[in-house]
Amino acid sequence: MTMPSPFASSISSAPNPQPRHRLPNRAGLGLKSQHFAEILATRPNLGFFEIHAENYLVAGGPFHHYLRRIRDHYPLSIHGVGLSIGADEPLDIAHLDRLAALLDRYQPQSFSEHLAWSTNNGQFFNDLLPLPYNLPTLTRVCDHLDQAQNHLQRRILLENPATYVEFAASTMDEATFITEIVHRTGCGLLLDVNNAYVSGVNHHRDPRASIAALPLAAVGEIHLAGFAEDQDATGAKLLIDTHGAPIAAAVWNLYAFALERLGPTPTLIERDNHIPALAVLLAEAQCAERWLGYAQQDRAV
Amino acid sequence: MSDQRLFAAALLNPDVPCPDGLTAWNDSDPTRRFAVYRNNVIVSLIDALADTFPVTQELVGEEFFRAMAGVFVRQAPPTSAQLVEYGEGLPTFITQFEPASTVPYLADVARLEMLRIRAFHAADADPLTPEQITQALADPTRLPLLQVGCHPSLNVLNSRYAIVSLWAAHQGIGDLASVNPALPEIALVIRVGLEVQVIALPPGGDVLIAGFAAGLPLGEAAGLAIATHPDFDLTAHLALLLRCGALSSFSLPTEVPS
Amino acid sequence: MSKTLTSTTLSAAALALALGSALTLTTAPAVGADMEKCFGVALKGKNDCAAGPGTTCAGTSKADYQGGAWKNVPKGSCEKTASPTSPTGHGQLAAFAEKKS
Repeated sequence: MTMPSPFASSISSAPNPQPRHRLPNRAGLGLKSQHFAEILATRPNLGFFEIHAENYLVAGGPFHHYLRRIRDHYPLSIHGVGLSIGADEPLDIAHLDRLAALLDRYQPQSFSEHLAWSTNNGQFFNDLLPLPYNLPTLTRVCDHLDQAQNHLQRRILLENPATYVEFAASTMDEATFITEIVHRTGCGLLLDVNNAYVSGVNHHRDPRASIAALPLAAVGEIHLAGFAEDQDATGAKLLIDTHGAPIAAAVWNLYAFALERLGPTPTLIERDNHIPALAVLLAEAQCAERWLGYAQQDRAV
Repeated sequence: MSDQRLFAAALLNPDVPCPDGLTAWNDSDPTRRFAVYRNNVIVSLIDALADTFPVTQELVGEEFFRAMAGVFVRQAPPTSAQLVEYGEGLPTFITQFEPASTVPYLADVARLEMLRIRAFHAADADPLTPEQITQALADPTRLPLLQVGCHPSLNVLNSRYAIVSLWAAHQGIGDLASVNPALPEIALVIRVGLEVQVIALPPGGDVLIAGFAAGLPLGEAAGLAIATHPDFDLTAHLALLLRCGALSSFSLPTEVPS
Repeated sequence: MSKTLTSTTLSAAALALALGSALTLTTAPAVGADMEKCFGVALKGKNDCAAGPGTTCAGTSKADYQGGAWKNVPKGSCEKTASPTSPTGHGQLAAFAEKKS
């Protein structure tokens, strides 16, 4: 049923003739406008920056002014938050066109999106909404990913979600669902370790087993972030993926577990709420780089 | 209706029950888990509006603003994934929102704040250089025919209220208590370099700029401003516009022989 | 363009004078009485992929503006401005100025 994807065999077989280097196996930070000037003035020693695509789909002004200059000095990852790959209606072609123009303008080393939906009937909900894991969803997600990868002429890294509910309509577990997507579309994976932990707690799954069950060879980037703690109706722990706190110890441990299996992998420190001084985020990036160093040594042994 | 359509309807409307078919490992009532999504949507969109309309929020207070924004969000959720555009409809919503009617200038202050966002992200363009102006002056007979291109970030808002003074007082410029909101003001909003400026234009400035925008040649646009406002000071207006880089091109209509 | 507009067209000489003077003015340093108001913009990106405040009631509370909460007029800095419809606007101005300090 599914056509062989041009992205399935390897990154180098992607149809765009321009070289697409991977992100370096280092730590990176989400680029925040609060830090634009300081980054240019101090040029911190970092592996890469990541932006949210939708914040840069504007014509001109300071966002492009600073991104252009920062791009001159750092590798770049572009992370989409609004394509709505899981939507049960057609992808927004105009949105894909705008993404294509942004990718063309900045030539990022990586482009990623989410296994989620965020639009319906012309409305945008500004949230990453959950999907039932079954065959109809799988077909739809794969069709949308094929379409997006062809439109953007590049491999997309798909991010595992943080979720708060599950569906009676699901017929397979998340790892099986994602494995099948990677197999069918040739997309890569963005392994969000915090999401794996949050979903693990929220759905009483072992996050290590969930990560180990993923097609780890497809992972091109890792995300790390902080969460908040809440409760469900029975008082059971419900973790919220807020990106508003330092990375929790349990998530660092899970990261170490993932690196043991992956080897050194580009790692983003995500902070979208309660954004602290750049130095605070750089310290978290340094912590990730120490783990990346251990992973490198393990490889060398 | 599709499952996602039902899910979406329940996100926005707290009177709609949590969608069927949601489960949890411990069989807990999924309503509370679903509330995480409801909150993410409503709160993040209210936050986006609060970012765009800080002075509007200050004028009515955070509690009132967030409650009003919540009504707006449910009535008019974003239609684009680019949240930077969200809120274009808020000023008109405010004019029809009865509880805000005691602050009659609120909608126009919100319009001004939306124009600032637009100016911030508008396309870049080089301003006219002194050399280009000197060149235009070298052949004065053509001046009346020149078409003036404005910077893409430029917008003018003509208000019955003192929107520039009200806005500026919230930036620590001037005393809010000494502002008479009932005095009409014209706001010029433009990005100069990397910063958005808000400038109070004397009467007629709006006519001149609207003329440029409508493609009227310089002579006609200036003539119209003077005709509608006899004390219109063209020199002062041109100086202001040049100083903030508001004019980016001079061109002659193509049918005029060169 | 219509004839009425053309009849108000400013002369080349008047335009040359105005534009020439304006050019001279722009090379002079800005004066204190300038009408420009310049402020920095610290605008944030609005799209991100983070979740919000968990199960707090914001998303589930019914924003019913016919209800009692909405009978209260806005309580913000607007209380410091003179009411444009109030005949005693200036009296209020003095009172509010005192309140502010």
